[in-house]
Amino acid sequence: MFGFTSKQLARVGIFLFMIFIGVPLIVGATGRWDFYFTLTSVALLAIASAGVWLTFYIGRINIGQGAFALIGAYVSAILVVKAGWSFWISLPAAGLFAAVVAILIGLPILRLRGVYFAMITLVLTQVVTLTALALPITNGARGISNIPLPSGISVFGIPILPDFAAMENTKLAFYYTACILMIITYAALYRLVNSRLGHLCRSMQQNEELASSIGVNISYIRIVIFAISSFFGGIGGAMFGSIAQSVYPSSFQVADSVNFMLNCFLGGLGYVFGPMLGTLVLYFGWDLLFEFGKYQMLIYSTILIVIIRFLPNGLLSIRFGKGGDK
Amino acid sequence: MSPLLQVKNVTKKYGGLTANNAISFDVAENEILSVIGPNGAGKSTLFKMIASFTPTTSGEVVFQGERISNLKPHIVARKGVVRTFQETTIFKSMTVRESVVVAQHLRAKASLAGYFWGSKTAKEDVTAFERYADELLEFLGMSHIAGEQASNLPQGSLRALGIAIGLATDPKVLLLDEPFAGMNHDETMNMVNLVRSVRDERGVTVMLVEHDMPAVMNISDRIVVLNFGEKVAEGTPSEIQNNEKVIEAYLGSVDDEIGM
Amino acid sequence: MEQILANGVYLGSQYAMIALGLTLIFALMNVLNFAHGQMYVIGGFVTYTFYGQWGVPFVLALVMSCVTLAILGALIERYLFAPVIKGPAREESTMLLAAGIAFFLDAVILLVFGEKQSGVPKIVDGVFNYDFRLIMPYDRILICVLAILSIVAFIGLMQYTKTGRALRALAQDRTAAQLMGVNVDRYSMIGFALGAMLAGLVGGLLVTITGVNLGMGGATSIKAFMMVMIGGAGVISGAIWDGIILGFMEAIGLALLYQYGDITYLLIFVSLMIFLAIRPQGLMGKPWG
Repeated sequence: MFGFTSKQLARVGIFLFMIFIGVPLIVGATGRWDFYFTLTSVALLAIASAGVWLTFYIGRINIGQGAFALIGAYVSAILVVKAGWSFWISLPAAGLFAAVVAILIGLPILRLRGVYFAMITLVLTQVVTLTALALPITNGARGISNIPLPSGISVFGIPILPDFAAMENTKLAFYYTACILMIITYAALYRLVNSRLGHLCRSMQQNEELASSIGVNISYIRIVIFAISSFFGGIGGAMFGSIAQSVYPSSFQVADSVNFMLNCFLGGLGYVFGPMLGTLVLYFGWDLLFEFGKYQMLIYSTILIVIIRFLPNGLLSIRFGKGGDK
Repeated sequence: MSPLLQVKNVTKKYGGLTANNAISFDVAENEILSVIGPNGAGKSTLFKMIASFTPTTSGEVVFQGERISNLKPHIVARKGVVRTFQETTIFKSMTVRESVVVAQHLRAKASLAGYFWGSKTAKEDVTAFERYADELLEFLGMSHIAGEQASNLPQGSLRALGIAIGLATDPKVLLLDEPFAGMNHDETMNMVNLVRSVRDERGVTVMLVEHDMPAVMNISDRIVVLNFGEKVAEGTPSEIQNNEKVIEAYLGSVDDEIGM
Repeated sequence: MEQILANGVYLGSQYAMIALGLTLIFALMNVLNFAHGQMYVIGGFVTYTFYGQWGVPFVLALVMSCVTLAILGALIERYLFAPVIKGPAREESTMLLAAGIAFFLDAVILLVFGEKQSGVPKIVDGVFNYDFRLIMPYDRILICVLAILSIVAFIGLMQYTKTGRALRALAQDRTAAQLMGVNVDRYSMIGFALGAMLAGLVGGLLVTITGVNLGMGGATSIKAFMMVMIGGAGVISGAIWDGIILGFMEAIGLALLYQYGDITYLLIFVSLMIFLAIRPQGLMGKPWG
């Protein structure tokens, strides 16, 4: 199936079993309902991180995903609150809007490479935060609060998606939704990376000049990839806004953009599932260190520095060794 | 018969500096044409303009009756004019075979979306790519290093890999950038034979920029000589060897060895 | 009008210093120092502690800021950046490392100096008042003069000393500098220390006017990145011009758009994006060109 080996299929099976059945069982047994919120956040941040990872796949260090997550969150919130759309339609709309913005911004800035591209995307995050503060439609610093929970959707009277507001356990519902979105994202990412587009991205990552000499339209692929990447950011952000039921200019800031980048780097840039693992480890690591009170930040940053100092190829490199498989 | 590729009055200026001044010559189908000249003669700049890696200041390059200068490199590659690079420009962390497979992307019949969903045409493409990669590597005598990572290859193999990547695109004209630089006599002879077989057996017209005089004299059908951005001579190897302007140009320059 | 010009010069001189430090580090090591803003904040807190808390003379406190940051910068370069730069995947790694260091310094600032805004007594009292057209407190004038003097001293150092020449050679071409006999490891460390010291010096100067707090670090870094981009990363004159341009834009913007609040910064950021769209090559300047 899809060219997977049976071993890979078994791994995917175990993974799916864990998140859809294992986790709810564990939560039920321990009574730690807050775990759902943590894991939902991880899943959504992992979606946005997947986008950052994809931009890295064409050799661009993207520190602007916070901008697209914020755009996605606002677009969805405005469509739901002000235009009365169903959240489920606003979700792809948010992703598409983020992708369109990415195309417009990408046209000039994707010509930049290396540190220059990184810097300009970092500034972009700040621009979007400030825009959200300045525009009337985003309500400035007050943000948009009281976003209703996603309503149900039915086609020809057959319910496709349930009404979240009528549910007893929205935490679990959001957890499942986020996990399904994350799985779709990573499945798409995996297909993309292993298809011809992925090979072309890899050729561009390694040498843009050579890639264009063999006929690769590098500027076109850069835009396509940046748009897909930002689509992921928009989706992640929109879902986050819906769970928090509010969006503020500070919902995604420069620090979040930096964190998305860290998730990818720590997980390992050579591995499709790197950003997922990186997000999980960083988010849980940060949460676990909460016990240390005011030393939380100190210990967290020290561990970060130690990892980058001694594991420059990311956490997954321990398991796969140098070069590893994809 | 009209020439395959024409360089017409091509001029390149960088600020006040003229790198190429009104250069004109034709390339016939199925010939091996070398561009030689001392350092700073403007050979590399000329090559970049032919492959549209840099725009011309004035003049044009015409390929099969179509202007190909001042376009994007990938468009020129699609039309069949493909350049290679010196050995550092490779896909470092791909294997030889992977590089050659990727380089065939112009031959793809399925769309990018087709690849994403795994359409039938896409699967056929992939099989065809792999078969052709193996065939090409066999032809170039590189089958034994097909699985090696490019960054681990010695210099001579890197040069061959560059040619393999260029050939994989099915070019009509292949532009080789100093294919013999830094090679000893035996390696150079191997490369000369390889380039010749590319022309003889694959029907590819070859243009090359080179420093190595004996090799150039050996391989070329015709030679174009540049000096200080001007064309000083054009002709068969024997004509060039006896051309006074050429001898003068070469006697005037000492540091031939440092690549330009 | 005079007021706006004066404000522009005042802001521009400080921004230029911040940009200089960042661009120096960038030119030498191709490292984007995310922690630059935090280094600036530490400089502010050191001066605050010596001058504001312990009553040490202001100039001495400034020197302490410089020394602290120079040592900190040297240590960071020696034990963190230098080994990572030698490793594989250096561009991503150094960026990640720089982000980690920024977090780390934030944590240290939080633990040592706390979260609250800290100010120091004025260094000089009084206000310069020219016919109510130009009003500028004396302490601001003094700080501005000190900043300009520091920039001049820095340029002098880069132009006329052996260290400066070595740093310039290193910035232009690392390999060539090494072949010419420049001790690359040593001068990378000196350069980083110098860049960090500049950040610390601005922090020390500005604490007398704006005070200092933990949150200033990140915002300062972003402004510094912008400045470095406008004129070309690694270009010394570019950094100074950018500082002045940003200073004037901010002064003019704040004067004209006062009632709209943060819109000044939004306009500055947007104009930067447009500038880059039109002239991306404008920031591909060669180091120290």
